[in-house]
This record gives sequence, structure tokens and C-alpha cells, in this order.
Amino acid sequence: MERQASELFEEFKELTASEFFRRNKQMLGFSGKIRSLTMVFHELITNSFDAAEEAGILPEIKIDLKRLDKDHYILRHRDNGPGIPEDFITKVFCTMFAGSKFRNIQSRGQQGLGCSGCVLLSQMTTGKPARVTSGYKVNGEIKGVQMTFKMDVKKNQGLILDKKEIPLDSTGVCIELHFKDVSYSLSEQGAYEYIRRTMIANPHAKITFRDPTGHVYIFDRASEEIPPLPKEVLPHPRGVTADDLIFMAKHTDKRRFRSMLTSNLSRMSTKRVNEIEEITGIDLNKRPKDMKWEEAEQIVETFRKMDFMAPPTSGLIPIGQEQVEKGMIEILDPEFVAATTRKPVTYRGGVAFVIESGISYGGESGRLIGDQKKAEIMRFANRVPLTFDQGSCAITEGLKSIDWKRYGIRDLDNAPITVFVNIVSTNVPYLSTGKQSVAPEPEILHEVRQATMKVARKLQKYLRAKKAEKEEAMRSQIFETYVPIILKEAAALAETDVPEYEHVLAKVTRKPKILEELDDE
Amino acid sequence: MNRKDIAINKLKSLGEMIIEDVQKMKVPAIKVPSRGTSNIVYDDVKRHYVLGDRYGKRSLGNVKQIKKIGQMIYMANFCKELVRSQKTATLRELYYVSEGWDVDFGDQQESNIVGEDLEVTLGMTREDLGLMPEEDGASVYGELTIQEGDLEINAMKAGKSGYTISPTIDEVEFVDHDVKRVIAVETMGMFHRMVQENAYKKFDTLIVGLKGQAARATRRFLKRVNEELNLPVYVCNDGDPWGFHIAMVIISGSAKLAHVNHELATPNAKFLGVTASDIINYDLPTDPLKDIDVLRLKELLKDPRYKDEFWKVEIKKMLKIGKKAEQQSFSKYGLEYVVDTYFPEKLEELEQ
Repeated sequence: MERQASELFEEFKELTASEFFRRNKQMLGFSGKIRSLTMVFHELITNSFDAAEEAGILPEIKIDLKRLDKDHYILRHRDNGPGIPEDFITKVFCTMFAGSKFRNIQSRGQQGLGCSGCVLLSQMTTGKPARVTSGYKVNGEIKGVQMTFKMDVKKNQGLILDKKEIPLDSTGVCIELHFKDVSYSLSEQGAYEYIRRTMIANPHAKITFRDPTGHVYIFDRASEEIPPLPKEVLPHPRGVTADDLIFMAKHTDKRRFRSMLTSNLSRMSTKRVNEIEEITGIDLNKRPKDMKWEEAEQIVETFRKMDFMAPPTSGLIPIGQEQVEKGMIEILDPEFVAATTRKPVTYRGGVAFVIESGISYGGESGRLIGDQKKAEIMRFANRVPLTFDQGSCAITEGLKSIDWKRYGIRDLDNAPITVFVNIVSTNVPYLSTGKQSVAPEPEILHEVRQATMKVARKLQKYLRAKKAEKEEAMRSQIFETYVPIILKEAAALAETDVPEYEHVLAKVTRKPKILEELDDE
Repeated sequence: MNRKDIAINKLKSLGEMIIEDVQKMKVPAIKVPSRGTSNIVYDDVKRHYVLGDRYGKRSLGNVKQIKKIGQMIYMANFCKELVRSQKTATLRELYYVSEGWDVDFGDQQESNIVGEDLEVTLGMTREDLGLMPEEDGASVYGELTIQEGDLEINAMKAGKSGYTISPTIDEVEFVDHDVKRVIAVETMGMFHRMVQENAYKKFDTLIVGLKGQAARATRRFLKRVNEELNLPVYVCNDGDPWGFHIAMVIISGSAKLAHVNHELATPNAKFLGVTASDIINYDLPTDPLKDIDVLRLKELLKDPRYKDEFWKVEIKKMLKIGKKAEQQSFSKYGLEYVVDTYFPEKLEELEQ
């Protein structure tokens, strides 16, 4: 039977963001049981870190993961941040695309969906409401509120079930969520490893984690320094697309397109704008809203052909050599550690980035597989561990291209080392929507290699010294064994007594010894 | 002082050197003459190879040398006890004994080398140190009486195969003899031929059956009869480069044993035959020279031991005719020919 268009369009509905992600949860990174739980940890931890740092507080998080049944967990996550005012709680946890992450700023967040995604996953898999306790200061006094709520997916907002004021003696947020269809794992992709790596890149934080078996892991703070907050920097002309220009045009308060360009992009002078006008023939005095897509494309095309100063790098806040080393020492307890932070450079001519690299050797470095230590590569983007899609990542590729034999590592895969690489950028070029691997831009590969090779040289020095020390000890051992035996036999041969030989032994083992003659002086 | 006392003193002094160094607060070291080819030189006056003056140092302060010193000292002590109790041990026995020491050897090859180190360091043969080779020496037939311990032996009364030279030849005393010369032959076949044809009577000679390349004890025996009993020594071998060289090692010693050649070489010994000239003069049945024979002959031409005119002529002549002959090839003219005709003619020629 034929159906009319009007009938067909009765089924056409407008989707809210929440509804969309309910149907496409893999786009939030929630694919696979292990990965889903890791993503939940990631979202909650980064939000807590960001909140604490913005408020100037050293982050401290307590996580409690209980297992009720196979696949069924309760997660309790508590931080010591500034807390969330009562009116904003459901906005933070139930509204997708809320918050302040649509800026050209170095940020931990990768999806901009954050906590609301976690609440959505909890609700979809268990149907249970979320419970949040928030302590926050109002006029210097701590206010405490506890509420239970669900997410109204169709309206993209929260539905409060229960709410009460409670007395609290500190600020911070505590959220309790039920999950099914997730799995806690100690594997490289699991939640535990995620926390461990997070702690290396964030030595100023403290996390206490109780795992489903009841074991409590305390990851202590290795540094008391709160990292400076990243500053927003204007995007560089080389780093924008036509779509970005149209977006800017829609939201700008400037009257003319030319003033919008100079105020919204870095390194964009009036002289440059005039050049663009001359080359493209577009009237840049028109109102931004009148800008056509084709014109935007043409302008971006022109950007590519022009010479601009490199983008400002003031917005990039690396972890820093000392902090990376502290983090690695705290978590890996190695025999040797070295790290370096490179100077900022750009990829694609317009996006600034910094590469930091660290190597630790011995102790807890490397991954224990069976009874064999394997090398471990820890990748980070803006301090956030990248635990999936290792193979295609620029960091992995850069590290594998290094001739490790030159640095005393005969076989990288089977060495007890951990290699740490962090890329810091306002705009990390991810390879795929999962945002778990960095695109192999030539400049990034080069920086990864240079940074790692520099620390590898220090490792090589250490390994050489260690080998020499071992040989020296073996050498001493040989003398200490043979000298007495041989002298006893030589005395038997000469048919005399064994003479005093301590001084000769000291001489050959090169161990300084105060001789009697010296005592007489 | 007899050889036994000299050996004991030398061994003892090795230990004393080390102890004295320690008392002087010096790190002990032993100088071991180098046995590398570049340190083996031909001494024109002595007419045999000797070691040059280069030496290596084994220091107690060197991690790679300390074990070698230990091995040497242990071995020296073991040898001292051997000599003192008048016993001997083979190199193989020494190797097994060393297993009980605090410094041991990886294999027998290693212990043999340390044995040679000890020989060159002390300038004594290993027989003097109580270390014996496995193999016996040559057979001797003729009017010679010797004293071996309590036993008196006459080389005419030791059976048709004669008296076998013992590895401990230096403990043997020559008591009496009634010969004018010594003829050593390469093969036991020729030895028995000479015994059967009464050559010992005809030429007043001792007959020595070398059994191929002469053992150290055999060479020591030939040197002693030459120098102690003043008897001329003649060597008769196959007429080929290998026969030449068996004679030459008896006369001028080997490069490998340069450090003990003064105890082993008999520079006065003479090569009787078979020479290339003999092959021509006696029209002997021959075999053509093989490639390896030619190669060896050319090597001999470059060897300083063969620089005499006699050798140069004979080697070149053999290369020219391209032929070699065995000593038994004289049988062409009957079994007796070699004793009845060849030897008398050659002896007359050499003793002029």
C-alpha cells in the first residue's frame, strides 16, 4: 500500500544530543566492557582535576568500585574541588555539550561530553538514578546538598527525584553511579592502568582507589605544585577551516569581517587582511553574517599560501621535566629516570605543540608479562593517558623508529623500561573519533624522536656506568678469590710461610687501604 | 748438582719470586718467554731454533692473567712433588689431578699449554719436571749397556725388537758400549732388515728404529749418545720431503720446541739418505712427486735449517727429477743389498 509523505514524516523526529548519544554510545568512547569503564574513570577524573586546578586546590580523589554481580558495578567518585552549586548540578551531569570546552585552549577533555555521558551510560545499562553530593562555598560558608536524579534524554536535562541539604565540612563533589555491561580489568586498557598512568602525568594529584576485591591503592602526591592554568590563545590562520570561519562569523560581535579576522585570529594584522582582500577580491568590509561558504573556503585557501609568524606558544603548559621525573619516580620506583621537555614548535604550519619525553629503567618500569619484563610505552595528550589504538599513533611510530641499540637497549620490546611521551597542544591532531591516537604529522614524529633520543642518551650513560660497576665488582671478586689461594700455593712451592698480603690485595682490587707506612707518618 | 736437584730448585725459586714480591709490597708477576712465531729464531752458532728475548708478563694484578699464574703455581708444586718422589705423570694424568685444585683447567689443551709455559719459564724440559708423553720412544739394538734404576739392560739382549727408549730417558745411565756409530732409520721394516743382516756387527753400530717422527725421548737419547759417548749419529729415511724433515728435526730441533731444543737437537747428526742423488746413482724404483710433496719441498728451501749447500742441491735435484723413493726400495737389488752395498758406500763417503 502506498504511503503519503505526510504519513512518513510523522515518524521524523528531532533528536536531542542526549538522545543521539543514547543511540550512538560508541561515539562517547563507550564501546567494549573494559573500555567503557575506563572512559567513565577518564571523564570523572579529568573533570575533578580541572575543577580543582581552576580553584587553586591540589586535587585529591577517592574512588571506590564495588562489584554487585557479574558485570554490575557501583562506582563512587569523590573529589576535593570547589563543588558545584545546587542549581548547576543537573546541568553538569545531565546536559550534553554544557560547560566551557569550546575554546582554543589546551584542555584534558577530549569529547566535551564529560560527566553527562557517564550518567547516560549508567542510566542506559541499569535504569538506576545517579546520586550526587556537593559541598560548595557561598559567601565563605560551606553549603552541602545531596540529590538523586535521572536524565530526561528527550529534553537533554535532569529530572530531580530527591533533594536535601546536608551538613558538610569540606567542598567537593561525590557522585555514585551504577553500571552494567562494563568490566574492571588490570590490563593495559583497564581502569587501574588508566589511574596509574594518570598519576605519572599529574604528580600534583592524589588518588585513593579501592578496587572490587577491596584492595586499596594509594597513589600519593609527588609534587605540591598546582600546574598553571592554560591560557586561551587565538587560533592561528593556518590552523582554521572554512567551517571555523563561518562559526566565528555567526558568533562574533564585530561589525565587519575584517575586524572579526584581526580580533579572532592570531598573527593577523591589517596589512595581512589587505593582502587577503587583494588576492581574493572579496569585500572584507561586509558584515560577518553575510560571509558565504565559498568565500570562507577561498580565504582559508589564501591563508595556506601566505607567510605568518609562528603561533604564540604562551597557551601551552607542559608538565615540565622535573614534574615528569617526579611522577615516574613516585609510580615506577625506578633505578634510573630522565625526562625532557622540548621547546614549542608547530605542525601544519600553524598549530603549536610541545613534546615531553621520559624514560625510566628498572624498579616497576616495564610491564610484567608472565615472568618476563616487557617495555611499556605510555602515551599522553595534554596529561591524559591514551590507552587505545597504540599501533597507529605518531608517538608509537616515532619511538619504534629510534635505533635503540645505539642507546644500549638491545631489544626495546624486552627491556625493563617505561617510555613516557606527552604531547601538549591546544589542538592535538587525533587520528579517529576515539581520540586515542595522534596523527603522524612529520613535525610531531620528529619531536618525539628528538625528545626521546635525548633522554635515551642519558639512559645509555647510566647503563654503561652500571655495567662498568658490575665488571669492577666481578673483578674484585676474582682477586679476592684467587690471591689468597695462589699465595698459599706459592708459599708451599717456596717452602715458606704465607706472607702478609693485604696490601697487595688492596692494590690489585684498587680498593684504597690505609697502609701501615701511612699510619706512621 | 744433578738434574733432579736443579729442577726442584728452579721450581722452588718460582714460588720464592712471588713471595718476595709480596714481601716487598709489589704485585707479583712472572715473565714467560713468548712462544709466538715472531719470537722463534734460528741460531746459526747453536744450529737449532731458540726463543728470542721477548716475553709476556703474567701479573697477579691482571684479571685475565691471575688464573694462569694460579695454574702455573699449582702445576709447579705438583711437579716439585713428582720430582722429589722420583715419579712421573703423563699430561693426561696431570689434567685429571688438576680437577682437585682450587684453580682448574677448562680442558687438557689448556693444561698442556700451561705445562709449556712452565717449561719455557724455567728453561727445562717437561721430562725434567716429571711430566711424560704418552708414547714410548724408539727401539735400540746393539752393544749398549744401560742402567735404569736398579736394572742393568743390554740392548743386544732385549729381544729382536731391541730396547725401547723410555720417556724417562734422563734417568737412564750409560754404563758401557762397544760401538763406533749410531744409525737411526725411519721405519721398523728397515730396523729389522738391519738386525737380520747383522748390520750392528758389520758397522759396529747401534740401530735405532725411529717409528716415524722421532719422539722427544728418542731425540734426547740421540743427543746423549752423540755428546756423552761421542758417537757419530746418522739418519736414514725415505727419500722424500717428509723423510728429510724427520732427519732435520733430529739435527736442528723443531720450531715448536724452541725453548728446549738445546736439550733435544743433535746438530752433529748427519743425514745419510735416501737423497735425490741416491735415487739417480742407485737407479731406485720411484714414485712421482705429488703436488703436496712439491709444495713441501719448496717450503723446505725457504727454511733456515736447510740453508746448507748439501740440502739446497738435494732438494732442487728432487724437484728437478720429480721423483721420490722409499728406503726399502733398495730391495730391488735383493734384501741384503742395502746393508752389503748401500750403507758401506754411504758411510765411507760421510766419514771421509
